Amino acid sequence: MIRMTGINKGYMLGEEKLPILKNINFTVEKGEYVAILGPSGSGKTTLMNIVGCMDEMDSGEYYLDGLAVHETPQDGLTEIRNKKIGFIFQNYQLIPTYNILQNIVMPLLARGMTYGEAEAACMNTIELLGLTNRISHKPGELSGGQKQRVSIARALVGRPSILLADEPTGALDQSSGKDVLRLFRELNDMGHTIVMITHDSQVAKSAGRIVRIVDGELYED
Amino acid sequence: MRGSMRISEIFRLVYLNLSQNKFKVILTSIGIVVGSATIMLVLAIGMGGRAEVAEQFKNLNAGAIDISYGGQGSFDMDSFMSGAMGNPFGGQGSSRGNSGRGNGSTGFPGGSAGGFSGGVPGNVGGFSGGTFPGGGSNGQQKSNPFGGRSSGDEVILTTADCEELELFVAGITDTTISYSSKASLEGGELESATSYTVAGVRSNYAGISNLKMTIGNFLTDEQDESKEKVCVLGMSVAREIFGSAYAAYDGSVYIDGRPYVVTGVLAEMGTVASGISPDTAVFVPYETGIKYVTGPSISPTVTVIAADVNSVDRVMADVETVLADSYEGVTFNISDAGTKMEAASASNETLTWLLVSMSVIVFIVGGIGIMNVLFLSVKERTNEIGILKAVGCSRKDILIEFLMEASCISFIGAVIGVLLALAVTPLVELFSVRVELTVSGALLSLLFGVVTGTLFGLQPAYRASRLIPVVALNQE
Ligand SMILES: Nc1ncnc2c1ncn2[C@@H]1O[C@H](COP(=O)(O)OP(=O)(O)OP(=O)(O)O)[C@@H](O)[C@H]1O
Ligand SMILES: [Mg+2]
Repeated sequence: MIRMTGINKGYMLGEEKLPILKNINFTVEKGEYVAILGPSGSGKTTLMNIVGCMDEMDSGEYYLDGLAVHETPQDGLTEIRNKKIGFIFQNYQLIPTYNILQNIVMPLLARGMTYGEAEAACMNTIELLGLTNRISHKPGELSGGQKQRVSIARALVGRPSILLADEPTGALDQSSGKDVLRLFRELNDMGHTIVMITHDSQVAKSAGRIVRIVDGELYED
Repeated sequence: MRGSMRISEIFRLVYLNLSQNKFKVILTSIGIVVGSATIMLVLAIGMGGRAEVAEQFKNLNAGAIDISYGGQGSFDMDSFMSGAMGNPFGGQGSSRGNSGRGNGSTGFPGGSAGGFSGGVPGNVGGFSGGTFPGGGSNGQQKSNPFGGRSSGDEVILTTADCEELELFVAGITDTTISYSSKASLEGGELESATSYTVAGVRSNYAGISNLKMTIGNFLTDEQDESKEKVCVLGMSVAREIFGSAYAAYDGSVYIDGRPYVVTGVLAEMGTVASGISPDTAVFVPYETGIKYVTGPSISPTVTVIAADVNSVDRVMADVETVLADSYEGVTFNISDAGTKMEAASASNETLTWLLVSMSVIVFIVGGIGIMNVLFLSVKERTNEIGILKAVGCSRKDILIEFLMEASCISFIGAVIGVLLALAVTPLVELFSVRVELTVSGALLSLLFGVVTGTLFGLQPAYRASRLIPVVALNQE
């Protein structure tokens, strides 16, 4: 499903390039539930953005479902994000002026569905995440846990090949965090492929496989 | 198949965004509001000017040529030389009141000759037709029935000049002579004597000036010849003195204390380009006016009607030649309606273009304003753009969304601008500027507003649509 070889990524720091990801090789099979564990600043988010086709890599090869992502132009990446990837952001990233339903249907509207079709198609997911009586609220009116569930719902409605979650429990209290992890378990049991980032080894344990990232280098457990 | 957002759904988002930021929409569109209102008013004022010119000239005969003597002592070397050398009877023109003072003071022989023969009552001075270019050697004699009152120091055009012009200038259908002056009127509902324009005209003046009657008849030749005290009132005058045209008809007014019978009232004619404004004038027979109102020292205007509008220039040249022969060294004001019309519409056109370019500048300023606001708004919404990109909205979708927002904002602004222009119109009219609102003007300013707003919205929208998702998401 995911095959990454020799991925490098750095940021310019003045004249010099500061390497963040160093020769990353990373593979995820269909149906897997993988946790990327690493301390703050180790490059987890940077890696996840590349996996999620939201950032450019400096070098390396990346195949997603057999597609050569590293050779795909921007417009193609947009389509890959829309069809194959469900991204759950560290800080939810909901559009504050849209209500919950409008936020959740966006990936489907981007595909060319009408609002009515999209609404019908995401009702199951909304129910699954217990958001049914919140759909006309604005994100600002929800708790962190609820926002995270909206973010997850939005990632799921497009039936992506892979679910990417950046610190899904990071901003949540213990019990909401546990709810999210339980949900991920269920989703994985339903057949979803999941890659989750965390700095918390307890959280990482709920995944089927753990890879560690330290200073931009990836180590399999 | 590549997914792309439906326009209807983009429009839904646009509506969502605009309806939640009404205040920002108004702020953004202020430049467009002002621009559209300006262009609408400018077009309306331009159209108003055009309509006014058209109206002023609608009663004017395009072939009409007005000849009047404006200044005195004007001396034209060429005409003097030709007169002195080509015309052995150099003084003949002076029998019609050549300016003895003007010429005489310069000490030229022609002038003194004029002064001399001008003093001979009834002396008509036969002249050789050969002195007229193209006139042929007809050696015609002519008589001047009014020759007796030509010894003033002003050039005074007379009926004889009309006859002469009719005789020697080809392609003239009609001529008339008229003058106007101020006189005090009493009678009717007037509480005190009031000053009005009194015009002395021939019976054919009505036809030449396209005057129409509301009631009664225009002045006749018989009334003129017997110097009857009758008058025809302009519509405004009739209303002011009698309340209505019907009340005025057959009534009497006192002009300088003498009673005149009102034999007719003109229809309302509106403003005119030049000459006597019929609505506000009192018309009396030519000779009656000279006898009772003005006395002999008048400065009449001779109006000549060219049969063919295209030959106006030639007729004017001939008129000049004929007059130069009668009045040596005198320059007359000769102007034709067509040229006046052209000059008026040309200056009106210039004004319109000036106003239009002014409003284009307003638009550019407004457009830069809208671009700034859109830049800010796009910057503010970079995170939103990042999210849209992350969930798979294409560059095109985002570009279209922001462009549609810009054009909707400008459309709203343009509509408000048009309404504003409508609201301001009565104010502009207070300054007696004629404003002619048109549907096409409104549509044009709407179009202008939308196009400007959209064009200026293009750049920020394009920039926003090209950001890569992480960059957009990470911008605060
Ligand atoms: N846009 C950027 N420009 C320059 N440096 C960056 C940029 N984004 C990230 N970095 C640097 O890259 C390194 C890794 O950042 P990243 O966000 O991947 O860490 P992380 O592992 O996700 O940390 P956290 O657990 O705190 O989220 C950091 O040192 C950070 O300063
Ligand atoms: Mg991070």
